[in-house]
Amino acid sequence: MSHSRVVGAVEIGTSKVAVLLGEIVGESGLNIIGHSASSSKGVKKGVVTDLNAASDCVHAAIMAAEKNSNSRIDEVFLAQTGSHLIGNFNVGTTNVSAPDGVIRSVDIDAAKADAKRRKLPNTRTYIHHIQNPFSVDDQLVENPLSREGRRLQVGYWSVHGDSDIVSDSLRVIRGIDLDVSDMVISSIASGAVLLQDSEKENGALVVDIGGGTTDYVLYRKGYIVKTGVVPVGGDHITNDLSIGLRVGRKSAEDFKVKHGRAYYQTGDKDEKVWTIGDLTIGDREYPLAAITKIIEARVSEIFDIIKAELEVAELLEPMDIASGIVLTGGSARLAGIDEVAKRCLGLDATVSEGSVDVAEELRQPEYSTVLGLLHYALTGQDASQEMAKPSSFLRKISGLLNI
Amino acid sequence: MSTETQSLLSQSSGSSDLKIKIIGLGGAGTNAVDGLKLDDLGDVRLAAINTDAQALNASPIAEKLVIGRSVTRGLGAGGEIEIGRAAAEADRDAIARLITDTDLIILIVGLGGGTGSAVASVVAEVAAKTGALVLAFATLPFSFEGARRKHIAEESIGELRQLVHGMIPLPNDVLLQEGEEDTSVLKAFAVADRWIGRGVNSLCAMLLKTGLINQDFGSLRSVFHDRGGKTVFGTGTANGPDYVKNALEDLFICPLLHMGDRPSQLDRIIVNVIGGADLGISKVNEIMSLVSKRFGSREDLIFGAVIDEARHESLEICVLGKADMEVTAAVEKATATARTKTTLEGGLGLETEISKEDKPPRPVHSSKLPKKQQTLEVNQDEFTFIDNDEQRGYFEKTDRNEYNGEDLDVPTFMRRGIKIKIK
Repeated sequence: MSHSRVVGAVEIGTSKVAVLLGEIVGESGLNIIGHSASSSKGVKKGVVTDLNAASDCVHAAIMAAEKNSNSRIDEVFLAQTGSHLIGNFNVGTTNVSAPDGVIRSVDIDAAKADAKRRKLPNTRTYIHHIQNPFSVDDQLVENPLSREGRRLQVGYWSVHGDSDIVSDSLRVIRGIDLDVSDMVISSIASGAVLLQDSEKENGALVVDIGGGTTDYVLYRKGYIVKTGVVPVGGDHITNDLSIGLRVGRKSAEDFKVKHGRAYYQTGDKDEKVWTIGDLTIGDREYPLAAITKIIEARVSEIFDIIKAELEVAELLEPMDIASGIVLTGGSARLAGIDEVAKRCLGLDATVSEGSVDVAEELRQPEYSTVLGLLHYALTGQDASQEMAKPSSFLRKISGLLNI
Repeated sequence: MSTETQSLLSQSSGSSDLKIKIIGLGGAGTNAVDGLKLDDLGDVRLAAINTDAQALNASPIAEKLVIGRSVTRGLGAGGEIEIGRAAAEADRDAIARLITDTDLIILIVGLGGGTGSAVASVVAEVAAKTGALVLAFATLPFSFEGARRKHIAEESIGELRQLVHGMIPLPNDVLLQEGEEDTSVLKAFAVADRWIGRGVNSLCAMLLKTGLINQDFGSLRSVFHDRGGKTVFGTGTANGPDYVKNALEDLFICPLLHMGDRPSQLDRIIVNVIGGADLGISKVNEIMSLVSKRFGSREDLIFGAVIDEARHESLEICVLGKADMEVTAAVEKATATARTKTTLEGGLGLETEISKEDKPPRPVHSSKLPKKQQTLEVNQDEFTFIDNDEQRGYFEKTDRNEYNGEDLDVPTFMRRGIKIKIK
């Protein structure tokens, strides 16, 4: 099979719409043929709040990417984020059916089905069932087929979202007559491209701090064991600065970008920074300490929330997260953010320099999620154990739109 | 403002026999009135109403009313709003007697407890019958006082706002920002009282003292002629040679003017300055033009200037603005479905933040047309809904961001009580 298709990876972010066009040739060839990123409208905390405004800017971004690659998108992979996404860990159990105790594929299917048995209310839609290792009589095994045992178990990290919010984002894409063939949550997409296999194996936490949300994914022993969304991002930092310094959003944003640091240090008290001088009354100098204290409070709170969520799940064991924290997303540009992550979570932290496999311009943190989407367009199809789709997925997302 | 109304009103209530009563409600309100330091203003009467007899006894205020003895046996409401409400209902007549023959009632109340908010509602209802103008200064609890108090306070705000002519919320979280570094909790509670003191003092001075530019009760009434709507309050003060410029800067960065929930547009504004004998008319003109440039056009702005002989190179500016609510927009709900963009005309001009592009449409900014009839018929539930929706500034139109009882959209530094010095 050597026909090629053009996949559009789209992330409708709170501050930016990122579009990446990938040409998938045959089974495993991927060429990135176009990209565009533009500022986003009608999106807050990762959720479409104004359908018209969001549609306008997403359509413009998609058309720009099509134009600069001189191609047409065949199908869209769409990123999902927002605090409406909820994950649960479900364990499926089955007793091995054959009298000789040898596990057959029917047992494996039964265990999987049992793990996914939980029905959701109509207002919720599954987005992922992410498989974790099997265990046979409480022994972890990679592949249980043909092993002997009495009881087979498998765990799934399942993520579901609010049907209305998910379908709003699908409507944006359908508005220009494109089909969404799959949705991937942002954290998983970013994690897929930013981590090497060895890092996934050693355990790593990817934290993607965007404009409106912070998405994280925790890998242990090669598996995704937890994902989460903290509905707080760079927008909040700007808003906090705007309120705390009593300046407009634009000045607050300027302060954040030009003078922002994620933590306060003693010298900040004596250092002064100026508003961008229009010399009206109110144009004045501020102690750097005001800026860094406001940011530190917000940024450390984000990491404290992640820490609390991992602790509740009993997953915060530094031994099992040996590769530490990898930070990405637009707000990862904030100076010193790795320092605060380290302090709060007690793990090593680095700001990702982007996937090494792609051109320099695509290593910007804005592109890590869409790169991840293309990764899934390429590999996610073969029902890899990492990301098995609910079988009725496509039917379901069509159902959401009543088509 | 209608000049006709103003002149009518000023005839009927000249400042000489104007009766002002400042009433502290509940424990926090009584404390605030206790600590009130007013300039020598003559006939401003102070009163306190509480369910807790013992706390009230300790207060030096002359006129005190214990309510709900039959309900609480004088032991206080214990933070239960239902008990506070029952107490206020039980002594409705006594409350009515306390506020008869008063033109202006200034309520001072701490919201979030049992007594203050319940009594405030009853006082406001009774006052509505006597025709008195009612303004309320209401402090909102610190985040560290817990989610329950916060919720009670938020509900009370919505209720109270409908009942009084001007309702000035003072979030303790915000005011704490103004204190000195390392303010103790006790001192932190007193910070709000100081702000209330400045506001009340400036109001009374404007009404009772003669000055460069006199404003009387009629002017105040013309600003606050309707119940409901939102009130914005801010003050700035400065001493020393550069006092005009510095007081203006202090006013423009007043934290109360920069809260996320302020209305995008004010309909009527009253500005009062208190200065020493050195405050000439040219300085007043300068202040007036800068203030009106910042807060709205001159037609909407009533300006008063009072001379206090005790001051020298010292200025206090106080701004009170009122935004009426648009009733018809009340039912619009935050959904992601097709919402047409509306542009904001005018605008408060407080800061550049009100960018016309990324600001969501505000359902409640009001027209400048007189619409008294309209607002009188308001369904309270609708208003309550707007209030809750409206208090969230940039993040309105999004789901509430609750995490462990805290709203994550509220700046972390405020919820944690971290002081930010910007001077």
